[in-house]
Amino acid sequence: MPLSTRSQDGDEGCVLAAALDNVRNLSNILKAISFKDHAVFTATRDGLKVTVEDSKCLQANAFIQTDVFQEFALREESVGFQVNLTVLLDCLAIFGCSSAPGVSTALRMCYNGYGYPLTLYLEEGGVVTVCKINTQEPEEPIDFDFCSTNVTNKVILQSESLKEAFSELDMTSEVLQITMSPSQPFFRLSTFGNSGNAHYDYPKDSDMMELFQCTKTQTNRYKMSLLKSSTKALALSCKASVRTDSRGFLSLQYLVRSDDGQICFVEYYCCPDEEVDEE
Amino acid sequence: MKFRAKMIDLGCLNHFTRVVNTIAKLTKSCVLRLTPDNLYFVLSGKVANGGVSMWCELLQVNFFDEYQMEGLSPEANEICLEVAPENISRALKTAQNAKAVKVKLTKKHCPCLTLSAELPSLSSISRVVTHDIPVEVIPRRLWHEFKEPTVPDFDVSIYLPPLKTMKNVVDRMKNLSNILVLEANLGGEMNLKIETDLVSVTTHFKDLGNPPWGDSASQSRSQSWDPEAMAHARVDVRKLQQFLIGQQINPSKAMCNIVHNRIVHLILLQEDMSLQYFIPAVA
Amino acid sequence: MDCVATGGNVKVLAKAVHSLSRIGEDLYLEPLDDGLTLRTVNSSRSAFACFLLSPLFFQKFHVSHGRGFRCKMPIKSVQAVFRSLSSLERTVEKCHIELNSEKSRLTFTLHCKHGLLKTHNLSFQDCESLQAVFDKERCANVLQAQPRLLVDTVLHFPPSLEEVKASVTADRLLLKNHVENDADQAKAMRTELCLSSEEFLHFSVSAPTSITFCLKELRVSDGVLVFAESTDLPVSMHFDEPGSPVVLSVTDSVLEANFVLATLSEDSHCNHDNGHKKRPRTPPPADDFMCDDMDSYLIAMETSEMAGPSSRTEPRSSSEREQEEEQRPHSKKFCSFFFGSVLPTSSQTANQTLQNQDVLASDSEDEQ
Repeated sequence: MPLSTRSQDGDEGCVLAAALDNVRNLSNILKAISFKDHAVFTATRDGLKVTVEDSKCLQANAFIQTDVFQEFALREESVGFQVNLTVLLDCLAIFGCSSAPGVSTALRMCYNGYGYPLTLYLEEGGVVTVCKINTQEPEEPIDFDFCSTNVTNKVILQSESLKEAFSELDMTSEVLQITMSPSQPFFRLSTFGNSGNAHYDYPKDSDMMELFQCTKTQTNRYKMSLLKSSTKALALSCKASVRTDSRGFLSLQYLVRSDDGQICFVEYYCCPDEEVDEE
Repeated sequence: MKFRAKMIDLGCLNHFTRVVNTIAKLTKSCVLRLTPDNLYFVLSGKVANGGVSMWCELLQVNFFDEYQMEGLSPEANEICLEVAPENISRALKTAQNAKAVKVKLTKKHCPCLTLSAELPSLSSISRVVTHDIPVEVIPRRLWHEFKEPTVPDFDVSIYLPPLKTMKNVVDRMKNLSNILVLEANLGGEMNLKIETDLVSVTTHFKDLGNPPWGDSASQSRSQSWDPEAMAHARVDVRKLQQFLIGQQINPSKAMCNIVHNRIVHLILLQEDMSLQYFIPAVA
Repeated sequence: MDCVATGGNVKVLAKAVHSLSRIGEDLYLEPLDDGLTLRTVNSSRSAFACFLLSPLFFQKFHVSHGRGFRCKMPIKSVQAVFRSLSSLERTVEKCHIELNSEKSRLTFTLHCKHGLLKTHNLSFQDCESLQAVFDKERCANVLQAQPRLLVDTVLHFPPSLEEVKASVTADRLLLKNHVENDADQAKAMRTELCLSSEEFLHFSVSAPTSITFCLKELRVSDGVLVFAESTDLPVSMHFDEPGSPVVLSVTDSVLEANFVLATLSEDSHCNHDNGHKKRPRTPPPADDFMCDDMDSYLIAMETSEMAGPSSRTEPRSSSEREQEEEQRPHSKKFCSFFFGSVLPTSSQTANQTLQNQDVLASDSEDEQ
């Protein structure tokens, strides 16, 4: 429908109304966490949080802060709903994914509350697409209870060097083992595949290492299949923080800078793999 | 029957290649009709190919520097061949920077369209690549099946939006649904819609304009059509998607005629070629 | 064994491994006094490839196991060490290869920019020596070209195509797709490409001949072509009569690569050749293009009598049929293999020429 009419019906009953000049700022980051179909959207005064989970062992949260949006109006303290992320991504990319300069798709999204679809108005070059995506009641996200006071070890790296390692991971290995230690090997990624094992060692004085705070040697294994899904977010990011807490839970945080310089975060929590065999 | 043609101009070669590539995407097999003035690629709608039909007409003088043919007889001065356009497309692909390309009708191990390209080489002697594309010669008694289709008596005729945009939209809609509704009215508006259990999506195009068809007979229905009302057709998304690959030939005009609930007739026009494609509506 | 490659040579090593991976599944590694050999063979044993990297290729080259140590491992696992070829040059400064035969481990250590250290411990199996028997020096025909020429040539043939026939005369090379005489193939497009001898760096044909080999394997040898291109080295093609292998080789002062491809043997080749002769020969394409006389090319055809091509149903040799029944993935008609020369470890000798071996084993089933 013409843009004039949609503002009205949009703003009338909208619990959540948000607008973006360039839909890519949203779609890129959502694409990075689209390893499962279902995503829970939670809008608060701070912005939009999108949560995707896998096997009760992995949780990804993308944070798109309010100031990424040109408009962000929320009628309630917090609004939550669940949608099919794959469908949403197809809708956001309806005019193609071209990154040609000067061409961008504007987005306005509205949610009228429980039982209503999420309505997207996309506009590019005078052509308007209206999408109504059915919503479900949000499932309660898992609480990983990862708090910074319990963090044992933490490193912050420039993503570049981690990207290389993740792109080369031996996928025949069931697990990715992460060793963090105040002494050698400092920060080590290991795989144990069909044809042998591999270790990637990052010295603590590497110029890729922005922060190195390891208090205690810790070696934990995480399911490769789970961690692999964080690769897409890593690929978008410029900095990565890797933290483990006293229980061996892993937190990966990626800082993503959008085309126009806006900053978003994607965060992953992962449970350690239970069987730890001594080697 | 004799046929021989030669292309020297690189622009013509590229243009011809794009046309053939488009045809190859639309059909595995079609009829190539050669007449003294034109080349036609024809697919006549049969249930086996989903009921779609295609008519592509090229003005030979605009593509070939030399063009000589002798048809079946002076009265029936045509040649009708069944060919896999994919083969021509592959042959042309290897001829991309050719100094000259020749196409001939030959009899080798079977009747062939022989395409040979003179390619630049590292020495003074050109590199020559020759492709023998098997063809089947269609007997005269079957020629009537490959005549130009008549423009259907449509309800609405409309210019298409930029094909690139339309292709992007249809490609995405294809991810969401197998069936798409194409609708348009005489006020220059066209919508593409899909609807599934999960989502409904509508893309609205406006100010597209409606082509003037003059006094043509095919106007009778549209004259009685309410200008505001949408004529619509549910079609297989894949077929529309295939047609939109034709955006690579960069037509100067693209339009669409809709017979309400019956058929979508798509036309790409350029001064030296035209491509028509018919997609039947599904229930 | 303990050796170190640095700088650009790490990439060359990686490219060598990648090109071998396009042929076989296993990498056979054998350190010798005159360098490190990397070899592979395809499953039907119709293609073999070998790299010899001389001690000078390495910054450090030390063979401590004495003669006769050799091992094999899945190529994929070695490829994984050099996964991102594109970033290799930028990131890897040094590659250390160390063999620990007690632990049966081959360790690749990549020293990368920013202090990143990548260690790959690969397990291996002891194995027999793998050596194809060929003598490229004695081949009657030798062509040498820039790799681009051969890369461009291969591109003209459709990817689905199985076999290609190369004919040489004193002044040119003619390539055609080799089409079988069954009904399916009659509908296939046929392609011919003619290259003048002037396009080659070196063109010496003392015995004009036609050989037929798997295009798939020539594509596989893209490996060698890509390798040659990246190292900017010309490729030589050595061949003789039908049935004896074609050798594609790339050589410089510190390395030598030989890719050996089986060709269709004389018997079956003759059969096919007869098949060709029954058909009306078309004039060679080079002349074809030059000649603009319309009538010599236009053919008279009647729409009514478009019968299929004349009889082309000559019986095929039993070896062909056997090979087909076995449903080999490649080279179903290559009844003669140039291999079979796998020395058991126990009876190994340092002799690389393996003259005592059954060099033309007709049975290709003797795989480990």
